[in-house]
Amino acid sequence: MSAISILTLILAVLMLIVGGKAGLTAFFSAVFNFVILFITVILITGGLPPVWVAFFAGVCILAITIYMGNKDEKTANIAFKATLIVLIVMLILIIPLDHFAQIKGFANEQSEEIEAFDLLVGVNFEQLLIATTVLSTLGAIAEAAIAVASGLNELIEQRPTITLPEVFKSGKTIGFQIMGMTFNTLFFGMFGSDLALFILLYKLDADFSYYLNSKIFVKECLAVLYSAIAVIFVIWITTYLVGKKLNEKRAQIDK
Amino acid sequence: MKVNTKTWLKLALILVSGLCLYIFLRNDAFLYQQPIGKVVAVKQATPEKTTDVYNNSDDTTRQTLTLEILNGKYRGQSFKVNNTYSSSGGLDQKYHLGQQIFVNIHEHRGQKDVVISHYKRDVYLIMLSWLVVVLLYLTMQFQGIRSLLSVILNFVLFLLIVQIDVFLNLTNFFWLFAIAALLFTALSLALVIGLNKQFSVTFLAIFLGTTSALVIGCLVLYFTKSKGVHYEALDFATQSPKQLFLAATVIGLLGAVMDAATDIVSTLFEMKRSQPELTKQQLFKSGQVIGRSVMGPLINVLLLIFFAETFAMSVLYFKTGNSIAYTFEWTMALGVVQALISGIGIVLTVPLASFLSAQFLGGKQNVGN
Repeated sequence: MSAISILTLILAVLMLIVGGKAGLTAFFSAVFNFVILFITVILITGGLPPVWVAFFAGVCILAITIYMGNKDEKTANIAFKATLIVLIVMLILIIPLDHFAQIKGFANEQSEEIEAFDLLVGVNFEQLLIATTVLSTLGAIAEAAIAVASGLNELIEQRPTITLPEVFKSGKTIGFQIMGMTFNTLFFGMFGSDLALFILLYKLDADFSYYLNSKIFVKECLAVLYSAIAVIFVIWITTYLVGKKLNEKRAQIDK
Repeated sequence: MKVNTKTWLKLALILVSGLCLYIFLRNDAFLYQQPIGKVVAVKQATPEKTTDVYNNSDDTTRQTLTLEILNGKYRGQSFKVNNTYSSSGGLDQKYHLGQQIFVNIHEHRGQKDVVISHYKRDVYLIMLSWLVVVLLYLTMQFQGIRSLLSVILNFVLFLLIVQIDVFLNLTNFFWLFAIAALLFTALSLALVIGLNKQFSVTFLAIFLGTTSALVIGCLVLYFTKSKGVHYEALDFATQSPKQLFLAATVIGLLGAVMDAATDIVSTLFEMKRSQPELTKQQLFKSGQVIGRSVMGPLINVLLLIFFAETFAMSVLYFKTGNSIAYTFEWTMALGVVQALISGIGIVLTVPLASFLSAQFLGGKQNVGN
């Protein structure tokens, strides 16, 4: 048996022991996401436009992560709506910026890995990069949206007389608490996988100006910054949507 | 009304600061040693169609650029350079009028030889950083910028450790990064929750969770003889790829484990504060409930980060006639193993954090009896 299948088995058993039925559902949501990502790569290779494939894959991943991980439908609906809006906003931000920054494809530092390949494969590497960037932020925004939505809904249930400004203020407080930790998760997740790159850059004796302009370093930094922006937006939008929903409900009761 | 004008003034100030920064960055060539050329004229040749053995067709185009040097001793001089780009752009790019490019100028026997080095990207990197700072400020004023502090400090520490690693060139450098991971954890936790009892409980939970996940991971890799996992496939590896991979895994999973542990421990401490009559068993149970709701999303966060990074390479493998199994083994397998070990770490942290908090809180001030 390969190492991957045994590790997968261990993860599944642990999630079942610790989380019971919910744990098993969470395990399968990760498996489904993996399958979607794999299909995304194959569809892009097949010649479909990467940005559109990533958009549809993104909607599926968000739906799976949010609805499979959450029993409370009210929370899940708001979180899903907020993450969809952020997905579109991020596409609008990333598409022009990635074009201007020209960070597509591979960098000179990677030439050893790609020297065996003919790079004229007819794939639009810029679009592929946009797809990659958008998909890598989705996990973080789904997590933040669920945390803010469930926190605020619980607050409204406990204090039904809460005013709108108070809801927005609590949204900020909850958002602030999760933001610090989410930044850490993203930072360690991304820089952890770039460890080898940083060691290489140090060995190359790169100077500061090279860091600020090299394709690979700018690319990795932009990925972290995009995720940070996405998380901030998702906190804003989720809080706004919870407030709007509360307002509508109260207007209905008043009638 | 007064508040409104103040808000508008603030927004205007932010916009003006962004604009100034942008204009400065467009004209900062004088800060660089390496010559920078601005594209003042472009002459395009006709594209040439190429088709490789796998039937992938692509266009390559040659362009002749006229560059005006903006800095250094060649300032004001114009040079012609050639650039070839493909429409897929795997390793090349098309240049447009007005763009700035770093060049290398070699002089021999009065002839100046100009070669394109790399594109100038600092404008976009710094403008996006500016946007993040502005958004944080707008959301939570200076408190928001403080939440960046832990990330920045960790980044500096991270670079420092990398430097030490390169400097010492240890054989067993994994341990250096393991110690670094402990420092990262301590630093982040100290900034978020301060140095108190809650800190010790959280730190212990993270330490035990990460260590046991890593031990499980290593045992599985050892007993399966790393079947299906190719450490050689690790990008940029300049040191032992296996150790590098393990070090990267530890750092990668740290953030997520920290997230889960802080969530559980801080909620349980808060619960005990407001309801002192809670028993150990009740606290442990509540911890498990919180853990169950966070572990799924966290595993997905890491899966998406680790997997999305392999996209470009996987497409390249597929496009050049490699099978699905081969592509998976050589491009994605490492990321998947990383995500799996991290997942195990997150799941193990849930009972550990719940148990440790319950032991610590339930035993000390048991008001229930």
